Amino acid sequence: MNNYFIEIGNKSIQKNGQQVCGDVFMSRKLQEEGRSVAVLSDGLGSGIKANVLATMTASMALNFTVENQPIERSAQSIRNTLPVDKDRKINYATFTILDIEYDGETTILEYGNPQFLVFRAINSLELKDIKESSDSELKKGQFKAQKEDRIILFSDGVSQSGMGRADMPFGWDWEDLKNFISYKLQADPYVSAENLSKIIVNRAYYNDSLKAKDDITCSVIYFREPRNLIICTGPPYKLEKDKTMAQTIDGFNGAKIICGGTTAQIIARELEKDIELDLFLGDGDLPPVSEMEGIDLVTEGILTLGRASDWLEKKKPDEINYASPAGKIIHLFLKNDKITFLVGTRINEAHQDPALPVELEIRRNVVKKLARILDDKYLKEVHIQYI
Amino acid sequence: MCKEQKYIIQICTGTLCHVMGGAELPALIDYLPKNLKLKVQIKGMVCANYCKDQTKKPPFVLINSELMQEADLEKIINYLQKCENNDTYQ
Repeated sequence: MNNYFIEIGNKSIQKNGQQVCGDVFMSRKLQEEGRSVAVLSDGLGSGIKANVLATMTASMALNFTVENQPIERSAQSIRNTLPVDKDRKINYATFTILDIEYDGETTILEYGNPQFLVFRAINSLELKDIKESSDSELKKGQFKAQKEDRIILFSDGVSQSGMGRADMPFGWDWEDLKNFISYKLQADPYVSAENLSKIIVNRAYYNDSLKAKDDITCSVIYFREPRNLIICTGPPYKLEKDKTMAQTIDGFNGAKIICGGTTAQIIARELEKDIELDLFLGDGDLPPVSEMEGIDLVTEGILTLGRASDWLEKKKPDEINYASPAGKIIHLFLKNDKITFLVGTRINEAHQDPALPVELEIRRNVVKKLARILDDKYLKEVHIQYI
Repeated sequence: MCKEQKYIIQICTGTLCHVMGGAELPALIDYLPKNLKLKVQIKGMVCANYCKDQTKKPPFVLINSELMQEADLEKIINYLQKCENNDTYQ
């Protein structure tokens, strides 16, 4: 069992005037095999054409790697498949493939992208093993990751940002870039992958005077201490389990959410705590959140969970309204890695009337769906425990 | 007697009350007539299991611990006006 969590963050800005980004980042977690695969691909040019090519490349690379094809051979297949530009005599898309075993053994294969960086704490790691493989354009790196390591991948939009400016005629100087990241890591040693990628991309965007000259993408892979979250929802099937549920949440080490009015009342009763409710903390659409000492968030149950799973499935993280109760749950979901659902299975009789205006689903189904989305799309480690 | 808070209105925030129309009730504060505005305090309450009783219909509101079923804005305001009028005549 690995003792760290692999956090993946990615941020892209498209070239000024383009609708879509020509850089594509994809990742997949293979829970059974105990490894994660990630690919960053940069399509030649920009806009839709680049996006299509990069998507093609990235998904091919991802699937080849998932299928355990030797990493050189999949690179070869991709390059054979992609058409070569007639004028420039080069392939249409560059790529970086990352294959991370959960014991930390990491293989990186790079073709045409700026060199990736590995940061151990605040120092950039010089990888001795980087060997040019038989193919001169293909670079391969291998190292054993430790806790608090970060792998940073860029598209050339980052390294070439600011090109032509008097103070950086050849783009963002490599050493400056490294120092910049090192400085940011010093300022905030536990910065999340998501935020670090944003910081780097925004700086590159700023170098380009807020008019990106190329698609700018940065992906960060961060090996770190897992953060725990427990989410308690639903009254236990048997009354005598109420105490167990309350004790589990009380003794849990990490963030805590309670979803459900009745559940909150049970836990408040068992732990002898008060529930404070502010009627105006809802978003008009969902019932308001309440407060309980020692619990990070107390919300209504089935509607809020349903909304959260809906948003997680359909919306991008920056489109979510974090002031809403569902948004607050999502915020905690995204902040934590290991999520435990403690689900009470008692059915609420009052919700079973077919004349009700909305579909009030069975709690277990909502939780299962939510768990699947968190696992597949957000790469969280999810456990469900029924009580 | 506390003049400002003559009426304490507690709106149930349980799931059932919420979907049956309770979601609109916090807007009551905007709809109160002038004579009532300062006399009413609106609070939320956690589900008090009134909905488990099949004979009663949500959404539920407690007005000075008196239960009102199938509450809506009009019904609450009418009820409050009636109480006010009764008090005036006495």
